[in-house]
Amino acid sequence: MNAAEELKQSFPESVTGVGLQTNKPLAVIKKEDLLMIAGKVKEMGFDNLSVVTGIDYVDHFEVIYNFFSYNNKQNLALKVILERENPAVDSLFSLYKVADWLERETYDLVGIRFSGHPNLVRILLPDGWEGHPLRKDYDMNKEQWVTIGEDGEDIVSTDGSGILRRK
Amino acid sequence: METEQLLLNMGPVHPSTHGVLRFKLRMDGEIIRDCQVVMGYLHRGTEKLGEMKTYLQFVPYTDRLDYIAAMPNNYAYVKAVEELAGIEVPERAEFIRVLCMELNRVVNHLVFLGSLLLDLGASTPIMYGFREREKALQLFEMLCGARMTFNYIKPGGVREDLPEGFIPKLNEFMKDMEKRVDDYEQLINGNEIFLLRMKNIGVISAEEAVNYGMTGPSLRGSGVKYDIRRLEPYSIYPDLDFKVCSYPEGDSYARYMVRIDEMRESLHILRQVADNMPPGKAATTQRYGIAPETGIPSSVMSYFPRIFTPPPGEVYSRIEAPKGELGFYVVSDGTTKPYRIKIRSPSFCNLVAIPSMIVGLKIPDLIAAFGTIDVVLGDVDR
Repeated sequence: MNAAEELKQSFPESVTGVGLQTNKPLAVIKKEDLLMIAGKVKEMGFDNLSVVTGIDYVDHFEVIYNFFSYNNKQNLALKVILERENPAVDSLFSLYKVADWLERETYDLVGIRFSGHPNLVRILLPDGWEGHPLRKDYDMNKEQWVTIGEDGEDIVSTDGSGILRRK
Repeated sequence: METEQLLLNMGPVHPSTHGVLRFKLRMDGEIIRDCQVVMGYLHRGTEKLGEMKTYLQFVPYTDRLDYIAAMPNNYAYVKAVEELAGIEVPERAEFIRVLCMELNRVVNHLVFLGSLLLDLGASTPIMYGFREREKALQLFEMLCGARMTFNYIKPGGVREDLPEGFIPKLNEFMKDMEKRVDDYEQLINGNEIFLLRMKNIGVISAEEAVNYGMTGPSLRGSGVKYDIRRLEPYSIYPDLDFKVCSYPEGDSYARYMVRIDEMRESLHILRQVADNMPPGKAATTQRYGIAPETGIPSSVMSYFPRIFTPPPGEVYSRIEAPKGELGFYVVSDGTTKPYRIKIRSPSFCNLVAIPSMIVGLKIPDLIAAFGTIDVVLGDVDR
């Protein structure tokens, strides 16, 4: 029995499905229970949160957490499915400190909000950037210009006429 | 005496940040009280670009992530695609791939060594490091025509077989390099200034390092004896003999020592690979996804097709890159282009721990600790 099936057995209400992510056990979790399940997963020995992936499936979002256990040499993936409008899920920052930046990145590029995150601001793109690039409906033709203000902070504007030499 | 705290910007353009990275430091006199890392200056939207390219077209983009050691990037991506699509790879191709990756690990650690010592104020080691690196880059040039951005490993194998005279030249390099590693150790390890700058600086415990998501040599410097090449063996690593180097101290010096030892282990692997290189083809001849009735003569399409469609599915595949765990999350929707590519870069995740390591220390210690984390900004910003 793999780790995902163990979870399913202990929490039949929270785990809505089990499967495989090619070769890694995968459990689909109700989004309300993610923090509780992640706590159990950490107790099971999964001490490393490897990656947080947000995917836009046009009608819904998915967030996938890949865990690894250094002691038991096991993999486990958790998946939550979020609705299209205002996707939000609990932050795992209280359990895994690496989630700080991984979640900020997912927020920045995919636009998923993590409630309970201490500092949920953009990380790769400058503050004030419009849109989340890895969403499928992101407008690729919209030009945005970044300049540096007097205090060293980034200023984003959609009007590049003052910056560009080309007319 | 109470003094007003000072906000100090370090970077984005600063020689010790190895690119464009900005630290926002809150200073109490000379002591760092708080540190925020600001990044994204080199963000190119690689993941978005990946959604617009075919599977094969994305390989050159992976070169631009960690440009110091690009071969493992190629391989990590290609491995994910191969797992997704079920592509078989001939044994010789796997040998060549491991050869490239380990050679690149040596190159990465040479750059690490040189730039770390340069940051600490010693300008000679970077000359030494780059002298040896040049020879390795010439080997890569011989292999694929490029020195840093290779585009060499592709789904199904490698782009070209080893050129004539490559193995003798590699043997020459290894023979030279083994002596050089001893030289570096003699020059640097016992140096009193170096020890004072490195020992007990930027200490992080094993438990914290795991929680902060550190991987690779930086984590092994905290005494966690882990290596994906051993834990989740891929390619031909199960058949190879090598040690997992780790030091328990968790300070900058331990992280530096791990990399010196790893250079020796990589050379050891290289020697095994070079001595046992099997004959055969360097790329698969599997006619993946090509219908027999297309009428292309088999001699023309003997190699892997340029456009192919893996079955729908998702995979997270990771390898031990020189800087840590490099993973690619690839989602296929059954078309010729990936639906989503997520890059889990080692530099990005190792950098999370920096603020906790250097609070309470001084700015020169930040430079030492940051240097031993070994970050490339192309890999952080993607």
